Amino acid sequence: MEKIWGKTWALMGLLLLNSVFNVSSLSVTVNDVECVYEYVIYEGDTISGNFVVVDHDIFWGSDHPGIDFTVTSPGGNTVHSLKGTSGDKFEFKAPRSGMYKFCFHNPYSTPESVSFYIHIGHIPTEHDLAKDEHLDPINVKIAELREALESVTAEQKYLKARDTRHRHTNESTRKRVIGYAVGEYILLTLVSTLQVIYIRHLFSKSVAYNRV
Amino acid sequence: MFYGGRAACLLPIILVLCLTRNNCMLPVAEAIWLTIPSSGTKCVSEEIQSNVVVLADYYVIDEHNPDHIPTISARVTSPFGNNLHHNENATHGQFAFTTSESGNYIACFWKDGSHKQHSELTLGVDWKIGIAAKDWDSAAKKEKIEGVELILRRLQGTVEAIRGNLIYLKDREADMREVSEITNARVAWFSIISLGVCIAVTVLQIWYLKRYFVKKKLI
Repeated sequence: MEKIWGKTWALMGLLLLNSVFNVSSLSVTVNDVECVYEYVIYEGDTISGNFVVVDHDIFWGSDHPGIDFTVTSPGGNTVHSLKGTSGDKFEFKAPRSGMYKFCFHNPYSTPESVSFYIHIGHIPTEHDLAKDEHLDPINVKIAELREALESVTAEQKYLKARDTRHRHTNESTRKRVIGYAVGEYILLTLVSTLQVIYIRHLFSKSVAYNRV
Repeated sequence: MFYGGRAACLLPIILVLCLTRNNCMLPVAEAIWLTIPSSGTKCVSEEIQSNVVVLADYYVIDEHNPDHIPTISARVTSPFGNNLHHNENATHGQFAFTTSESGNYIACFWKDGSHKQHSELTLGVDWKIGIAAKDWDSAAKKEKIEGVELILRRLQGTVEAIRGNLIYLKDREADMREVSEITNARVAWFSIISLGVCIAVTVLQIWYLKRYFVKKKLI
């Protein structure tokens, strides 16, 4: 009897362990359009994630104009879209199961590096409980707990990507401070030397100006 | 439409494999799919700190001709340029390593030259780092735990990973704050020095010109 219970728990455990699908946060370089596909098994699963534009060298403006993000369902409809953003979180319920397409579109010519994280979470519903007599209500609670922990992890990945972007800006500021300051000193010295040389030239003997 | 057809073929197979009372061994649902262009490489990268386990699996998906699957080559480089994994002419591959330096790890895939078709390849990549790469099956067997205890043990591992991530983020924020404060001090100093350079150069100019005019007997 104990053995049967142990096996049942093990099987339930294994079934549950595989009911959460996630992916590590990766970066791709977006030249024009970059698409990532992910398969959603159960209809009604929550698709959540975030993306941050990490690599950008903005010269004059204070903020990146942004990239566009679209999620297309397997039927071809646009389920979710964000325009002109330099990083955001998203969360929605999958209307149907199938292959979902997550696309980043870069409207500008400079390639951008986008760090993204997509997570598909499944929580067994009453329908699943009724269908599968081995599934216990405790599994629903465990799935909810797991989803909550995954959302914390997703938030951390988002913070890490934003921190990376901030660090790039900081490094760029540091380099600019030194570069422009030293350039300014050299330019100043150069210009004043040129001024002196020019004035000397004005007062030289070759120009018929001096009176001695 | 293209992927809808493909998914329609795969869906019943996946459902059958996943909803039976056996292990769900199919890796499809855990991976993202990328398209490799007909010319050029597709690279994915991630910034990873040192001493982290990385486990990745990649496979080519092509339903048009399942008998003759196109092959790809893969290369993984560390932030210092070391080649961690190199594979040519393969339809699937796997690599695992522990990071020794922290930085940007890049995995690049490209089509092999033998296939001159101008179609795009679909590549499935299953990339796991840290706690997600841990082999729970062998740990469960070794410690003889199963069922709810195993699930809770995994959740505990996730919570510890969350705590580790928080500490890492805090350290990075501290480093960045240092850089910010140094930059702040430098802005102040460089501006004052710039003013000093301006005044010094002006004084030198005037002194030199005065000496020059006195020499030329103009004043």
